[in-house]
Amino acid sequence: MDSVHADGRAGTATTGVAPGARRDLLPLKILVAGGFGVGKTTLVAALSEVPPLSTEQQMTSLSDGVDDASIVPEKTTTTVAMDFGRVTIDDSLVLYLFGTPGQSRFWFMWDELARGAVGAVVLVDLRRIDDCFAAIDYFENRGLPFVVALNAFPGTDGVDDDLVRDALAVPPGHPLVHVDARDDASCTRALIVLVEHALARST
Amino acid sequence: MSVDRRQRPQAEGGRVVPNYAFTAGRTRSLAGSDMPIEALVTATEMGLAKAPGMPPEARAIVEASTEPQSLAEIGALLGVPIGVARVLVSDLAAEDHLAVHLPLVGTDGRPRRELLERLLDGLRAR
Ligand SMILES: Nc1nc2c(ncn2[C@@H]2O[C@H](COP(=O)(O)OP(=O)(O)OP(=O)(O)O)[C@@H](O)[C@H]2O)c(=O)[nH]1
Ligand SMILES: [Mg+2]
Repeated sequence: MDSVHADGRAGTATTGVAPGARRDLLPLKILVAGGFGVGKTTLVAALSEVPPLSTEQQMTSLSDGVDDASIVPEKTTTTVAMDFGRVTIDDSLVLYLFGTPGQSRFWFMWDELARGAVGAVVLVDLRRIDDCFAAIDYFENRGLPFVVALNAFPGTDGVDDDLVRDALAVPPGHPLVHVDARDDASCTRALIVLVEHALARST
Repeated sequence: MSVDRRQRPQAEGGRVVPNYAFTAGRTRSLAGSDMPIEALVTATEMGLAKAPGMPPEARAIVEASTEPQSLAEIGALLGVPIGVARVLVSDLAAEDHLAVHLPLVGTDGRPRRELLERLLDGLRAR
């Protein structure tokens, strides 16, 4: 009994399926990252077929005691709210979008979220461009495909894409789109560019 | 543009984590904490038959899962953290009251190419 599955399917997935139940259901996920107030929830809401839901993830981490050098590092549990939406792709594929907090102290959470993800949309507000650096660092380090999405806030138009790529220190030609996070078609376009990029990188 | 990503120190607390992959053939139980947040669950016939006698949370999960639900949706439905939803779902799956549909990834830990192609087709058709 050879337990090696060529496709690497994770685990014995569909035991005990009711007769007639769909056996080939497959979830996919895309992360939506970026700084505070950059439009993550708005983008998820624009794409989702259900109103965005919110879920909580509990994170256990070692507090580093930076606020008080006398504190012995101790285990702390933090609860992080995360919103998500759902897009039915076809009769068996369901895509989930997870809006993720953008600070690097949430990396513990990102590790779990990034596992098996198609990729990430990194939302950027050009008025606060450095808010997205942590996310870009993270996805680059983990080799997760990502697209840079410049959100159309007032006063952010007319900026040269190559200057933005340069400031973000992403390679020339790295996928970059302009989005209005409130607009479904615009957000869909960002996902398409991301998936094309992921496909170009896949073997 | 006054800020440049190269001009600042590396992100603080950069934890280097080995690339995780759903390695082919890795043996593990579904009840483990590996069930990802997007894993889908569907109620089994047995689960639906037994639902009326279940504790309220288990019953709510099984009955909601007549339509596929992700672990994230179960958590939102019950108003509990993902970790709690994962335990409840794992217990129900162990008793065959729920079927769990896990993501399909290649040896590189990324969704397989044909899935990306189907995803692309689906998005373009929107
Ligand atoms: N003009 C404009 N406003 C936007 C756009 N996207 C989002 N906003 C507005 O920006 C504000 C913040 O958007 P959110 O979607 O809540 O941002 P978020 O990233 O989820 O914020 P946090 O979860 O608090 O970090 C809201 O008032 C949105 O209406 C956009 O594309 N254009
Ligand atoms: Mg939000």
